[in-house]
Amino acid sequence: MNEEKIMQPQTITATIENCRYCLMCRHVCPVGHVTRRETLTPHGWGLTIASVQRGLLTWNQDTVEVLYSCADCGTCRAYCVTDQQLPDAIAITRAEVAAQNLAPAAAYGIHTALQEWSNPYKRQVPETVNGQAEIALFVGDDAIYLWPAALESALKLLEAAGVKPVLIGMGRSNGHLASSLGFPDTAKMLVQTTLDELKASGAQRMLVLTPGDYYAFEHLLSDRLEVEWPVGVEIQEVISLLDIKFTAGILKFKSSDDKRPYAYIDPSHSLRIPARYDVPRRLLASVMSTAGHELFWRKERAHPCGIGALQFITPQISDHLTYARLADAQQAGAQIAVTEDPGCLSHLNRHADRFGLHVQGFYELLADHLV
Amino acid sequence: MENNLFLSEMIRSELSEVVGPDFVSVAESDKFIYSTDWAWMPQMWLDRGMQLRPPDYIVHPGSAEEISEILEIANKYRIPVVPWGGGSGTQGGALPIFGGILIDTKRMDKIIAIDEKSLTVTAQAGIIISQLEWALNEKGLMLPHYAASSNCATLGGALAPRGTGTLSTKYGKAEDMVLSMQIVLPTGEIIRTPPVPKHAAGPDWFRLFLGAEGNFGIITEATMQLDYLPEARLMRAVLFDDLNKALEVGRLIMTHRLNPLVIRLYDRESTSSQVKKVLGYEYDGAYMVMGFDGDPEIAALQEKKALDYCQQLGGRDLGRDPGDAWWDHRYDFYYPPKSLKLPWMYGTTETVTTFDKIANLYWAEKKAVEEGFVDWNVKFIAHFSHWFHWGVMVYSRFIIEEPPQDAQEALRLHNRVWNAAMQAVMANGGMINEHHGVGLKLSRYMRKQYGEAWPLLLKIKKTIDPNGIMNPGKTGFGF
Repeated sequence: MNEEKIMQPQTITATIENCRYCLMCRHVCPVGHVTRRETLTPHGWGLTIASVQRGLLTWNQDTVEVLYSCADCGTCRAYCVTDQQLPDAIAITRAEVAAQNLAPAAAYGIHTALQEWSNPYKRQVPETVNGQAEIALFVGDDAIYLWPAALESALKLLEAAGVKPVLIGMGRSNGHLASSLGFPDTAKMLVQTTLDELKASGAQRMLVLTPGDYYAFEHLLSDRLEVEWPVGVEIQEVISLLDIKFTAGILKFKSSDDKRPYAYIDPSHSLRIPARYDVPRRLLASVMSTAGHELFWRKERAHPCGIGALQFITPQISDHLTYARLADAQQAGAQIAVTEDPGCLSHLNRHADRFGLHVQGFYELLADHLV
Repeated sequence: MENNLFLSEMIRSELSEVVGPDFVSVAESDKFIYSTDWAWMPQMWLDRGMQLRPPDYIVHPGSAEEISEILEIANKYRIPVVPWGGGSGTQGGALPIFGGILIDTKRMDKIIAIDEKSLTVTAQAGIIISQLEWALNEKGLMLPHYAASSNCATLGGALAPRGTGTLSTKYGKAEDMVLSMQIVLPTGEIIRTPPVPKHAAGPDWFRLFLGAEGNFGIITEATMQLDYLPEARLMRAVLFDDLNKALEVGRLIMTHRLNPLVIRLYDRESTSSQVKKVLGYEYDGAYMVMGFDGDPEIAALQEKKALDYCQQLGGRDLGRDPGDAWWDHRYDFYYPPKSLKLPWMYGTTETVTTFDKIANLYWAEKKAVEEGFVDWNVKFIAHFSHWFHWGVMVYSRFIIEEPPQDAQEALRLHNRVWNAAMQAVMANGGMINEHHGVGLKLSRYMRKQYGEAWPLLLKIKKTIDPNGIMNPGKTGFGF
């Protein structure tokens, strides 16, 4: 088990005590950035939790809403010199609050959906998976219910690269949402079911479509859930595999006729996976006929695009995160916003018109230009 | 306000009409979080389970015009107003000790213009300094105000207390970088200071607003001087057995205008505690870091000359690595648990004076603190970090690892240590502060600091802020 990585009570306390009066990640917190509320920053969350522990505050509708306003995006931790696990400590605190029936009503509704349907979007059980292959592709729920074209195109690209994966986790959440809402047991159930499918597939490598999925299986399991990743099985982002095939000359793309300026939007959770920033940019450059524009909040400081628990609990903050990404792309001079995460695509696309932007799926763009 | 719900709601409605209901908060959670800033005193108070006086309203204006209207309301009802940037002040300058309206300026975070010819940036005062710096870096420029608080402090928050950054020895304090400002006066007028600071068109009145900590108005916009990102940055570390000799080296470097970007000289105690803890070096002596930047050849020559002085006075050249390590990790000192933190008691009693007095001041303050509070096993550590042509600032700190658990007793002890330190500082020609500001913590020393000149400052305050609404209880001014 991962006992050394799972936060122990003393570690949670130390984290909260460290973060309550620390302002050193204030400048990167996306929620703090869009709300400008001191309360909705890592310091604010730390001090709120610490002060409930001291009896200065109680969990009520106001303070619980504060607790549930963290995007759980990992930006604070990515910038923390002393690696404070504040997002994990907040998730654990939410679990305590949820266990006391004090979480926002919407959280319980989503929880029920995750328990019954394994996704928050549709009353439909995940497809049963059959078949075996050396490589599996975790599909998840966003790619099924929010932006199916991403999956279709990714499969087309993989086929062109000579990879035919078995699909697992079709329509099933990766567990992060349940964990983030404070329901770790449900998160465990979801990932364990996927791991059972992975085992049954016999795959030695699991591909994922997004950084969020990579984070969930590479880190969430060990950092928050007492679930062990199968020994000897590798996790790899699809774009990483495509990049290798492209570099080897197996994948070839023709140049796009579209001359409109574009910007790549690093998907949510990207900064939880360092050293992945150049890969999507390199692949895009092989297709696009113009140089990409860069957002201000990019790469190591990329902000999330509004997906995750916030969209259900505090949709106004989620929307502002989406607006901020689009405004950033607009200010960068882009007319096309490209990203690969189906959830991000869905969120960005919902509001893109008002920013004069066209949202383009990364996988679709590449698949459309396969030679 | 609690006793008059009707009036409270009336005022809230008026504030909402100005900024919109989404930008006025009376939520318990917000009031609580904004009841403390980064000063030890309120943090300790909350740590011990005691409540602080919260603001009655937290308002997030989007423009100087909105601030003007807020101040009109505050004057009408005689409500205290506390400006808030990043809340990172160490002096309690942003504490809403009398409640009232807390104005968080962070919605005003736009970069208005970057002039790449004159090397200036004009930005709204609520922008976080690191974000501004990132934007400038993309153009090969920098605002050389590299404060430890840059990740959380705002541009206005750097100017209001006359803040200083790591590079101040070469590039100056924040106040030296500002060309002009837009300010909303306490009575609501929106004014602009002259477009340039160096002229002879009358007295230098624009400096009144630097260090006023909101007492004379709220800075809403500033034009700041920029620099090119340096082509080279050469860092070096030197170890001295004798602190006084190291101070003399610093004096020689400054008076001969070798133009270092930084000289940071840790005393023996700070070297063996802070430097060891954060950088991992186990040096016995006074660890000095110095740096030179800009043109590589000029920087190298300046460094060589500085090293010559070090050698002449017994300094041992540690090479480039311990200098680079310090540069790379210079802010790590402020991340908990590496930083000083509760439950300890601590205070930064930093001060500045001329070279002829600095050594005596340091030893006098050290003696006053260490001998005055021996029962509390107090530690005194210091580094000398902001150097001028005429003198140097000493970043002195006291630490008590086992302070009283009772909040009131702890606060009294804290204030007694401060009294001892400040008396020693003033008796030896030092100022009560060099760059953290006055706030609430040092307010009580202002009359003594300024002596016969203090009534003049009081008259200015009464003229500019006739109803005394602005940040009451801070910077020496009452309510």
